[in-house]
Amino acid sequence: MHMADALLSPAVGGVMTAISVGTLGYSAYKVKKDDLDEKKVPIMGVMGAFVFAAQMINFTIPGTGSSGHIGGGIMLAALLGQYPAFLTIAAVLIIQALFFADGGLLALGCNIFNMGFFSCFVAYPLIFKPILKKGINTKNITIAAVLSTIIGLQFGAFSVVLETLASGITELPFKTFVALMQPIHLAIGLVEGIITAAVVTFVYKMRPELLENSVSGKAMRDISMKKVLSVMAVLVVVVGCVLSLFASAYPDGLEWSMEGVSGTAELEASGGIYDSLSALQEKLAFLPDYSFKSDEDGSNLGTATSGIVGAILTLGLAGIVGVSISAIKKKKKDK
Amino acid sequence: MSHILNYIDVAHRCVKCGDEMQDFNSKISGMSKIEELSQNTTCIHKMHPMSKLITTLVYVVTVISFNRYSITALVPFIFYPVILMSLSETPYKPFFKRLLVALPFSAMAGISNIIFDKEILATIGGISISAGVVSFISIILKTILTVFAVLILMSTTKLTELAFQLTRMKIPSILVLQLTMTYRYISVLLKEASTMFTAYMIRSTDHKGIKFKDMGVFLGQLILRSMDRAERVYCAMKCRGFNGEYNRTCSKRINLKSYVYMIGISSLIIIFRFYNFSMLLGSLWG
Repeated sequence: MHMADALLSPAVGGVMTAISVGTLGYSAYKVKKDDLDEKKVPIMGVMGAFVFAAQMINFTIPGTGSSGHIGGGIMLAALLGQYPAFLTIAAVLIIQALFFADGGLLALGCNIFNMGFFSCFVAYPLIFKPILKKGINTKNITIAAVLSTIIGLQFGAFSVVLETLASGITELPFKTFVALMQPIHLAIGLVEGIITAAVVTFVYKMRPELLENSVSGKAMRDISMKKVLSVMAVLVVVVGCVLSLFASAYPDGLEWSMEGVSGTAELEASGGIYDSLSALQEKLAFLPDYSFKSDEDGSNLGTATSGIVGAILTLGLAGIVGVSISAIKKKKKDK
Repeated sequence: MSHILNYIDVAHRCVKCGDEMQDFNSKISGMSKIEELSQNTTCIHKMHPMSKLITTLVYVVTVISFNRYSITALVPFIFYPVILMSLSETPYKPFFKRLLVALPFSAMAGISNIIFDKEILATIGGISISAGVVSFISIILKTILTVFAVLILMSTTKLTELAFQLTRMKIPSILVLQLTMTYRYISVLLKEASTMFTAYMIRSTDHKGIKFKDMGVFLGQLILRSMDRAERVYCAMKCRGFNGEYNRTCSKRINLKSYVYMIGISSLIIIFRFYNFSMLLGSLWG
């Protein structure tokens, strides 16, 4: 469920980057403030690498013959605490984006939010921890891990849907997209939850102090549920405002989801900001409202054809430039 | 005789898990390939990391700012990877391999456009082209361009240098340290995991990978091993005077060449954003 750059609009990418950077900054501040940074750094680093290694190990899902791997958000939060876990996941996602083309540079904000925020700051503190506070045993660990992994993934998947639709790149209708994403991630979440439970149980049996420390940990003492909830509420409002602002500027982005919600595709939007924004968009978009369609008189056909010819020529030119630079470089080297 | 059969069986299992191990090894070697490339000393490698980072960001943002029906306007952006890869002597093959990772999700979204967006945009030579097809091509093109831009950045810039630039941008040092340490330990832990995996495969009776019920113990073991390693790493770092900060003595300043590179390429990118080079060339031709 990694978002790709190509499916994002700059506005959505920018907003999500800002949110993720903010959360990262806050997490870094918390880790530092709790004076954990020095000792936690190597553990976080190695655990980040662990997530990579763990993702490489495919296991066979019984009865299906297919295989899967873990995401690791809840597992990290359970062992490290939410703030270090968030930083760790962020680092993993950044490396995936930079070296493996899994997700993109601008999509990083989205991916960190979708995969890190929901498991570390929603599922872990609101589901995982409260259940384990009642008593750490195999049954509670299993319930907590499965529930929180599923819920974290459901939020993440839904957020992918919203971000993609808000970017207005894909034509997939909101309902179809949701109907596609949520059940798939329910199944993934269930499997991942069971594995997370098994891993955490194993670690608890071998080294109970690891889990006990992070659940009742002194690092987390000063975080009340109220605070988490209020931060979330503020975030939701901010995200909602920004998204709706920009959705009216780029109407095609959210129109399908609007159709699902209100029955009409178009939101009545007018007024100064909207008009100037759409005028700006017309200027920015190279094919304002798909300029080369509509007319049957053939004049636009000409534009389309010359565009295609031009594109082919450009490709050829690029190829020639590339080959010649390489040739010149080689010649220089041979001398 | 039974001895020999036993050996053959073990050898057979080794070969079997060897196939699965390829995945591990290809990931390890894939990563070191990019790192190897970043050690080169071409003119692009010598540019200041900051100038390359900013240029890449400008490029990626510009590429994705095109609307979903743009194709011809996007094509000229191919000059960027082509020229940079020739100048930095970067091979294409490893990049295309990574592209395969990035394509599926984009392709899925693109294909849905073909299904849902059937409006005919143009008819060329009797073949009608629907809006969906146009946007599909546009998405694929954007994916290729953005993936290549990021990979070019990473194969011409060392991660440690980039990380240092991040600290200069006031990104908390704990995050930067986290990034560099994770990166450093990936290959170490992959080797650890691969050793465990080989051991598991040789002991297992069927050859179908790790069983679901063993996953908890297997990953749990890996966690404990990782934690032990972290403990040792921490002690070693402490012995060398680690105090939680990212220290570096010398900082390279941005030189004139790098400024010229950054401003020159960025302005070219922006010019290409507003003037459709393909159309221009096409109309000259016609």
